Amino acid sequence: MKTILSLAAILGLSAQVSPAQEFKIGSPVADFGLQDLDGHTVNYSAFKGKVTVVVFISTQCPVSNAYNDRMNELYKAYSARANFIFVNSNATEPADNVREHARRVGFVFPVYKDANNVVADRFGAQSTPETYVMDSAGVMRYHGYIDDSQNPAHVSKRGLAPAIQAVLDGKTVEKPQTRAFGCTIKRARHAG
Amino acid sequence: MTRLLLLCYFATNFAACLGAQQKLTPVNESAYAKIIAAHKGKVVLVDFWATWCEPCRAEMPQLVKLEQKMRARGLELVTISADEPEQEAAASKVLKEDGVSGTAYLKKAADDDKFIGAIDAKWGGALPALFLYDRSGKKARSFIGETPMKDLEAAIEKLF
Repeated sequence: MKTILSLAAILGLSAQVSPAQEFKIGSPVADFGLQDLDGHTVNYSAFKGKVTVVVFISTQCPVSNAYNDRMNELYKAYSARANFIFVNSNATEPADNVREHARRVGFVFPVYKDANNVVADRFGAQSTPETYVMDSAGVMRYHGYIDDSQNPAHVSKRGLAPAIQAVLDGKTVEKPQTRAFGCTIKRARHAG
Repeated sequence: MTRLLLLCYFATNFAACLGAQQKLTPVNESAYAKIIAAHKGKVVLVDFWATWCEPCRAEMPQLVKLEQKMRARGLELVTISADEPEQEAAASKVLKEDGVSGTAYLKKAADDDKFIGAIDAKWGGALPALFLYDRSGKKARSFIGETPMKDLEAAIEKLF
């Protein structure tokens, strides 16, 4: 823990979540850029035209890690019909760490880095895991949790899977907003 | 105490048994409102934490120290664990180790969305999360994410 806190101090991590949220439910999501783990920029515009799922995740957050298997299952179930963009915005988790974690936990999907949490800020994402679903026109149709318990045995409500299915079917998402619980995204401090 | 140790000896998890001496009180949105109302006249700092939340664990001893330092002036710390029910014993053990006094609570809402929304409409449920109430029971500040103690102390000072 001391190591994490020291690293946080070195990186000048923001203590409070103060995202300047730009993207909202029912509105189009503008283009944004992420970096693959080799540092190449990938733009959201390249994914448009198809239903797109954005999931903010962490290598260290136990809640995010509790969903690793469920995220793999969702990807396997829907990636033929929907794009998935898994994003690591934590300033404490560099690309090498993200790559090693993905290998160790057996992710079947790519993970992208969000330098200086710019994309997390634009989405207003607070935690990991936190998810968003955009329809094929790029309009946000769902924001919230994957399901309502990190313990699979206690899940009583699912959020993400029914939302993806509804958007794929061209139907209204029954519950477009849920509260994504988990660990706060460890943000870098922006200048100014 | 001897009887308790004997009971613990026959329990499946000896360490968990010893740590589970303090039962956490379940809290939902209506109980939460009552807790805040019951503390009127005091400045109340509500700490939502969980055993799995490392920053929360790092903050806890500092919050205890802060309460000890400012208690005479009217600060009271209320802890609410967001752990799953099966982690209650582990949560209780952490509270004991960190010297948290007073009633400790465990989030147990029928609908987490409603519960979280009732506490702060802008809070998504991410931890750590601290909520500061003034002496009238009105929420004065929300701190989502890791919070420097000096910032917290300064916010509390303004309420005295």
